[in-house]
Amino acid sequence: MIDHARYATLKPRAFSYWLLLLLCAAMVGIGGYCALAMEHAGHIITGMNNHIVWGLPHVFAVSLIVAASGALNGASLSSVFGLPHYKPVARLSVILSMCLLIGGLLVLVLDLGRPDRLIVAMTTYNFRSIFAWNIFLYTGFLAVGVCYLWMMMESRFNRHTVVAGRVAFAWRIVLTTGTGCIFGFLVGRNALDSALLAPLFIALSLVMGMAVLVLFFVILDRWHSPVLNVQLLQSLRRLQVWFLLSLVYFSVVHHLTNLYATEHHLVERHTLTGDLSGVFWLGHILVGVLLPLSLLTIRSINVGEISRLVISALLSLIGAMALLYVVIIGSQSTPQTLFPGKTVLNSQFGDAGFSAYQPSIWEWGLGGGGIAVALLLCLMLLRILPLLPERLPEIPTRPDRSEK
Amino acid sequence: MRFVCPSQVLFRCVLLLLGMSLALSGSAAEPGPVIPKGKGDQCVADTDFMRRNHMDLIVHQRDDTVIRGIRDEAFSLVECVDCHAQKNANNEPVRIDAEGQFCDSCHAYAAVKIDCFGCHAAVPDSDKSKRVGSNQWLPHKQLLAFKPALPPAHDSSLPMQLDPNPNLQLNTVLERDRNELISTKPE
Amino acid sequence: MSSSAPNQNNAQIARRSFLQRLGLLGVAAVAAPALLPTDSNGQITTLKGVSDKHRWGLLIDSSKCAAGCDACVRGCNEEHGISSTGNDDTDAQWIRKIDLKDNLTGQLSSLPMMCQHCDSAPCVDVCPTGASFKRADGVVLVNKHTCIGCRYCVMACPYKARSFIHEPLTDQKSWAPRGQGTVESCTLCVHRIDEDNEQQPACAVACTDEAHSAILFGDLNDPNSDISKAMVERQGLQVRSDFDLNTGVRYTKL
Repeated sequence: MIDHARYATLKPRAFSYWLLLLLCAAMVGIGGYCALAMEHAGHIITGMNNHIVWGLPHVFAVSLIVAASGALNGASLSSVFGLPHYKPVARLSVILSMCLLIGGLLVLVLDLGRPDRLIVAMTTYNFRSIFAWNIFLYTGFLAVGVCYLWMMMESRFNRHTVVAGRVAFAWRIVLTTGTGCIFGFLVGRNALDSALLAPLFIALSLVMGMAVLVLFFVILDRWHSPVLNVQLLQSLRRLQVWFLLSLVYFSVVHHLTNLYATEHHLVERHTLTGDLSGVFWLGHILVGVLLPLSLLTIRSINVGEISRLVISALLSLIGAMALLYVVIIGSQSTPQTLFPGKTVLNSQFGDAGFSAYQPSIWEWGLGGGGIAVALLLCLMLLRILPLLPERLPEIPTRPDRSEK
Repeated sequence: MRFVCPSQVLFRCVLLLLGMSLALSGSAAEPGPVIPKGKGDQCVADTDFMRRNHMDLIVHQRDDTVIRGIRDEAFSLVECVDCHAQKNANNEPVRIDAEGQFCDSCHAYAAVKIDCFGCHAAVPDSDKSKRVGSNQWLPHKQLLAFKPALPPAHDSSLPMQLDPNPNLQLNTVLERDRNELISTKPE
Repeated sequence: MSSSAPNQNNAQIARRSFLQRLGLLGVAAVAAPALLPTDSNGQITTLKGVSDKHRWGLLIDSSKCAAGCDACVRGCNEEHGISSTGNDDTDAQWIRKIDLKDNLTGQLSSLPMMCQHCDSAPCVDVCPTGASFKRADGVVLVNKHTCIGCRYCVMACPYKARSFIHEPLTDQKSWAPRGQGTVESCTLCVHRIDEDNEQQPACAVACTDEAHSAILFGDLNDPNSDISKAMVERQGLQVRSDFDLNTGVRYTKL
C-alpha cells in the first residue's frame, strides 16, 4: 500500500505564520523565565501549598498530554480504521501529537521541586509507581511516533504503516490509561479512588485530540490550501459528537457512583454545589459539552461549517481543562477523611475545612509556555519535514453518510 | 538575493568572543585555588586521595546513612564541615560553601556545582547539648584519625599506568576500610 | 571498554601493547568478584546497619493527650530545626494536633497526627524514583538525595503527613538535613534510633516533660517491650484501619 500522494513542507508567505511563530517564541521565553523563577525562589511564589501540591501547571501538563494522545486519532483513523480521507493528514496528526506531548512533559518536569535532578528520574525507577511506568509510556510514545512517521514518509516502508499505526494506537490507549491511573488509585483521597478515571481520561483525550486537530487543520488550511475537504470536515464533526457524548457519559457515571456512597458526599458537595461548582457546571458541562454538542448537531444554528467546528473545538478545549481543574484541584482542596464518624473541631493543618487555591502568574506563565513549546516545535517541523499533502485525493461522497 | 542568516552571524560573534576570552585567560598565569587548611594534622585519608575521591566517599556514605542507618563513620559530611569550616574575625562560623571557603574555593575553580548544602548544615553545630528534653542524646562525635590504605601505585604483574578499574579499586578500599573501622570502633 | 583505559601517553602506545592491555582488562573484569570485601580470614563481610529484627513504632494514648497542648509539635520542630515563616499552608508540618468530636456521643478527644510509618506505605508505592522508602526497621523516610520533588507521595498519603519544602532553607541541624524542592515527613527521630535504641523521639520526650506521657515509643517486634505489652493490654488502633496499611503508629481510644 504505497502512498502515492505527494507531500510538501510549509512555505509560508503569510504574515500570520511569522506572527504566530513570534508569539510562540515570546511565550516560550516567558514560560522559561517563570520556570527559572520558580526553581530559584521555590514554589513559595506560586499559589501551591502543602494542601494543594499539584496546581495549575499540572492542569496544563495533563491537558497537553491527554490532548497529545488524542491528536494521534487523525492518523489512527486512517491506518487502523481505514478511513481514506484521514490519510493525507495522518502525518500532521502524528507530528502534532508528539509536539503536544513534549510540551506537556516539559511543564511537568519544570514544575518539579528539583528539575535539575531529571537524570535521577530517568535512571532510578520504582516499578511499583505508576509514575515510573508513565515515564516509559511517554518516552515510548515518542519513539513509536517517530517510527510511525518514518513508515509513512519512507515509501519503501509504507506497507508497514498499518502495523506501526496499530502499535501507536494501542500505545496511546495504554498511555492515557496510565495518565488516568495516576489519579485513579489514590485510596487516601475520596475524589480520586475510582478506576473510572481511566476511561474518563480516554474519552477526554478523544475530545481534546479532535479539537486540537480541527484547530490545527484550519490554521494550516489558511497557509497551505488543500488540508481540509468536505469529507474530512463532516467526519470530524460526526466523531466529535460521539466523543463528547462518551465524555459526558463517563463523567455522569463517575459522579452518580460517588453520590451513592456516603463517604464521597463531602467531595461531591464541594464539586457540585461548593467552590468548584462554577468550574464544573459552567466550565465542564455547559462550555465543555452542551454548547459544542448543540453547535455540532443543531443544523439550524446559522454558522458556517468551519466556524462551527472551530468554535466548538475551542469550547470543548476550555471545558476539558475545566474538568481537569475540578479533578486535580478539587481532589486536594477537599479535606481528607482521617476519622470517620468524628468531626474535626480543630487542626493545626487544615483537616477541618476546604483549602483555597489561587494560581499565581508564574503558574499561568509556565503552563502557557508549555503550549507555546508544542506549537513552536510544530511550526518549525512543518517547515523542515514534508508533512502537508500537495493535493487531496478525490473521494466520492457517500450521500447516506454525509448528514447525521 | 543572498540572505544572511542573523543566527549565523550571532553564532560567529559568540565563537570569536569565546576564542578571545580563552586566549586572554591562557596568557595570564593561573595561581589555582587557595584552600583554607582544616583542623588537625591530617584528613581521614591522604590529601591526594581525598581530592580525587571525596565525592565518591560522600555518596557512598550518604546511601549507607540514609538507607542502612550507619552514621558513625569517618566519611560523614558532618565531619567534613566540623574540620574544614572556618571562623570569621568575630569567631563566628562561616558557611563551608561560602565564597573562598573550603568547598567553594575548589568548586568555583573547577566550575562544579555543589549539591550538598541546600539541605545539609554548612556550619558546625554550635551547641550540641541543647537538646529537646535535654536528655542524654548527643550526635555521635567520634572522628577516628583514620588513614585508608591507598591502592598500590602499580602491581608488578601489570604494565605501568594501567588501572584496570579505578572504581572497583576504590570500592575495595572503601569496603575494607569500613570494616576495619567498624571492628576497631570502641563500643 | 577500551575507552575506560587511561591512556596518558597514548601517543606512544603501540597497537600490540594496547591489545595486551585490553586483554588484561578483560582478566581484571572476570577476577573482579574476588576482590570484594573480605575480612582477615577471607570471609565476605557483611556491614552493620538497620535490620528487620526491630520494628519501631509509637503508641499514642489519646486519653492522656490534652487538648490545647502542643508540646510534641514544638519539641519536634525544635529537634529538626523547623521554624515558622508565618504561613502555615507552606510551612513543613511533620506533626500536628487535631481535636475531635464524636458524631454520635459528642465525646471530645485530642491527638497528635504524623507519619504513621505504614508497613505497606502508599507513599513508597507511588514514588517514581524510590526516594520514598521504608527502612528495614519499619521507619518510612524520604531519601532527599533522590527526591525530585514531584509531590506524588503527598497526593498518595492518606494521613496528610507529608510536606513539600517551598523555599530555600538555612541553619539546618546537622542531624536533620532539609531543603528546598524536596518532600519530608516525620522520621521517627531516626538519628536518635541509630544512635541508641533506647532513645525516645523528641515528641515523646516533650510529652513526658509536660507530664502527659501520652506517647510511647518502642520495638513492636519485641513482645517484651513496653509498647508491645501496652498494645496488647490497651488495643492499639490504626487510623483508617480500613486501608489495611499496618501502621507503625497506633492510638488507644480513637
